[in-house]
Amino acid sequence: MSTPDSELDKQLQALFGGLDTGADFDARLVARLRAESQIDATERAMRARRQERARYREALLELQSWRRSMLHLLTLDTVGIALLLVVAVVTAWPHLSRDVMDISRQYGPYIVTLLGILIAAVPLLGMWAEQTRRPIQLL
Amino acid sequence: MLTDARVLELVRAERRDEAIALLLPAFRRKVFGLAYSFLRDREAAEDVTQDVFIKVWRALPGFDGRASLSTWIYAIARNASLSALRARRPQSSLSDPEVMDAVEALDPAPSADAIVDRAALLRLVDQLPTKQRQVIMLFYMEEQSHEGVANMLAMPVGTVKTLLHRARARMSAAAGK
Repeated sequence: MSTPDSELDKQLQALFGGLDTGADFDARLVARLRAESQIDATERAMRARRQERARYREALLELQSWRRSMLHLLTLDTVGIALLLVVAVVTAWPHLSRDVMDISRQYGPYIVTLLGILIAAVPLLGMWAEQTRRPIQLL
Repeated sequence: MLTDARVLELVRAERRDEAIALLLPAFRRKVFGLAYSFLRDREAAEDVTQDVFIKVWRALPGFDGRASLSTWIYAIARNASLSALRARRPQSSLSDPEVMDAVEALDPAPSADAIVDRAALLRLVDQLPTKQRQVIMLFYMEEQSHEGVANMLAMPVGTVKTLLHRARARMSAAAGK
């Protein structure tokens, strides 16, 4: 025998138990998702292009600023040092003995390499000094 | 088989479409029922259900698995339903002719008595306070699972039981008049 409550349960079950979306629901959703997917792919491609362009601009600016600072250091420090070296060599040349000449001939490539490293180190040291010397930030 | 881990795995492999294909059969009816319990309008509930799955598809890459997938989807569904409810005025009723037609469409050949019973029953459900109405609809749609309804409405199971008891008592009393 069914109680009034179980009868109500049955009626409510019959009323709401079969509640579902329409037959074309999945097809409509798939179509919308496909459209969304295309929009998404286009947006992603555009975003990637924008990011790539920004990265390129940033790299170019960095390169330009590095080139400017190198040129700046070359014109001031390196030319000065090179001039001093030339003066030193010209002054010392007549006083160099034959032995020194032999040694310099023997170790010539090493001496040139060492000088090259020294000359290259000057702008790098200058850059390092430039980077560590930050302007005082105003509030 | 649908598990949160499987869905996460598909999302991480950038296979969102496959993840949605798994989620759709498991959650379509539940999300629709939840939207319907808020909106009481079949067409609006279907639209909200579509929007919910689109939102889920968009948000899947951000799903971290901290909450369960069902909790996350129901939260999206509740928010979407409430937004649709706020945007729509005036409110329809379960006993509106349109809603009646939709319910009758579930049964291909209802008898005249059955239609009268359904209409009366829908009116009774319609007269319930919102929370009781939602619990009644989802409980009988969800094959009588207190836990399922509690998860869908983000309520403790005890509250669902209380609301259900009150709703049944109210309907029995109203039907006995």
